[in-house]
Amino acid sequence: MKNDLRTVFYRNLWRENPVIRQILGICSALAVTNRLENSLVMGLGLMFVTAFSSFTLSALRNLIPDRIRMIVQTLVIAAYVIIVDIFIKANMPEISTALGPYVGLIITNCIIMGRAEAFARKNTPVISFFDGLFAGIGYTIILLCIALIREILGFGTVFGFNVNFLNFTNWTIMVVPPGAFFMIAIIIWIASGITNRGLKKKESKKEGAI
Amino acid sequence: MKKGYTYTIIFMAVVSIIFTGLLAGVNAAYKKKITKNEETAMKASILASVGINTDGVDVNGVFNDKATEEKLNEVTYYSIMMNSDKTVYAIPFEGAGLWGTIRGFVGVSTDYSSIVGLAFTDQNETPGLGGRIDEDWYKEQFRGASLETVIEYGNDSGLDAITGATSTSNAVLKILNGLMDTTLQELEEADEK
Amino acid sequence: MMDSPQISPFIIFFASIITSNMVLTNFLGMCSFISISNEFKTASGLGKAVTLVMIFTTVINFAVYKFIVVPLELEYLRYVVFIIVIAASVQIIELAMDRFLPELHIKLGIFLPLITVNCAILGISLFMVIRDYNFLQSLLFGAGSGLGWWLAISTLAAIREKTNKSKVPAGLVGPGLTFIIIGLMAMAFMGFSGIFTIQ
Repeated sequence: MKNDLRTVFYRNLWRENPVIRQILGICSALAVTNRLENSLVMGLGLMFVTAFSSFTLSALRNLIPDRIRMIVQTLVIAAYVIIVDIFIKANMPEISTALGPYVGLIITNCIIMGRAEAFARKNTPVISFFDGLFAGIGYTIILLCIALIREILGFGTVFGFNVNFLNFTNWTIMVVPPGAFFMIAIIIWIASGITNRGLKKKESKKEGAI
Repeated sequence: MKKGYTYTIIFMAVVSIIFTGLLAGVNAAYKKKITKNEETAMKASILASVGINTDGVDVNGVFNDKATEEKLNEVTYYSIMMNSDKTVYAIPFEGAGLWGTIRGFVGVSTDYSSIVGLAFTDQNETPGLGGRIDEDWYKEQFRGASLETVIEYGNDSGLDAITGATSTSNAVLKILNGLMDTTLQELEEADEK
Repeated sequence: MMDSPQISPFIIFFASIITSNMVLTNFLGMCSFISISNEFKTASGLGKAVTLVMIFTTVINFAVYKFIVVPLELEYLRYVVFIIVIAASVQIIELAMDRFLPELHIKLGIFLPLITVNCAILGISLFMVIRDYNFLQSLLFGAGSGLGWWLAISTLAAIREKTNKSKVPAGLVGPGLTFIIIGLMAMAFMGFSGIFTIQ
């Protein structure tokens, strides 16, 4: 398998997007998606943690004894998460209150562990760094899509600015937890719909060639 | 990769020391700023509870300018000068929510007859459900609510509870009504003396 | 340290099972919730294992936090401490089970390693600290959340066993439909809100 920048980019953002394809990292993802601002900060935090933990673990990959691999991974990830947590607390106090314990829960976000196990173990630090970064971006994009729709329908705002020109009643269902589940179902539906159509086209082309 | 026990232990120790050191450093570097943020946030809540806009304002400056700390028995409250002839009180409250303690400040007119605003400093209710007590529409609706009678939700009072978060909504009312019978009562009696 | 909230531990217990189910309202423990809910039997097994580990780790984390982390003023390291306690507890439970309850170990053994990265377990410990719960409140919160998780995953698996046989639009097969089911379940559970009054 080729592992240049482009394949890594494409794979993490679309073909194997952690949220919609692999259903990973949903835990901390959905709870903060009723506001775009919160989702953005959460996404940036995750990007930082995946990128740097992939980098660190890949740099250490020949040194880590197999027996304690998991615990070292957890330790490294937890360390970066704490840095993010302290940073958010110091510089964005309001968002820190809104995110509550969910920043800490980045530790158990399966995406980070997944990238560390599947990619950083076998590749060089620089490409692992980008692999982690792109996985984080893939996650953030989906988060933002969900948050955008939930915030528009639930509060009538985008990043806190009022966009409710038609004066419709806000949909409470979009603010409460079930709204998040329905939105992610719709996004998964659209994504696999596009893939399925792509597959069909390829098949019909093949048939035509014969 | 197979390595000996000694190596494993030394490796683990080295990694732990490096990362703990790193974290301790980051923590020390930001500790002051975090404490300061917390203080500012508290002051912002006090100002918000009496309806002063705190967005993009020098919170510390405004606070020092307008608020004075006062004390009655165990309660520390603040009297805030709105303009030259009008003062209101910001009174702290605290009580059980569905999940944890809800803390905040309620702005009260000096004759203790109505609420001028509400702000929460600390709440751990479910995000998206009970956590919505911290949304502006919910807090705004208490502005002007009378403290002469028991506060209730419904058409008469014009107060709405939060969909799907009945317990938290009721907890807020219970705390406010409780405050009327305790702290506010004490303050009123002290004023009369 | 602030005082713990004046909430009856039993309300916390029941509320965390029904009205504020960990997975349906706090979105914790989603990864395994989705991937291991194909079959009722396995799902229920995982639920049991999660409940067990949750109670165990809540107790240990409570003690560690109260008696080691707070006195040493290492609050900022709590994430590392908690996750290591969880990883270690899972290992210990696995060993103890293998030794004393081999039958149960065969049934639940495969799930145990998965549990370390279950967000719900870490979540409980973090919530417990943020909300300043006392020991009894923490214990019943952990137990209730575990049972709630078990209830949710068993219900989901039971529904999925039926829907697996139905015809659905191609794009919705698998995770898509699962999320819709979870959404409906979350709405149903929201209906219980308010059945507990705060004393």
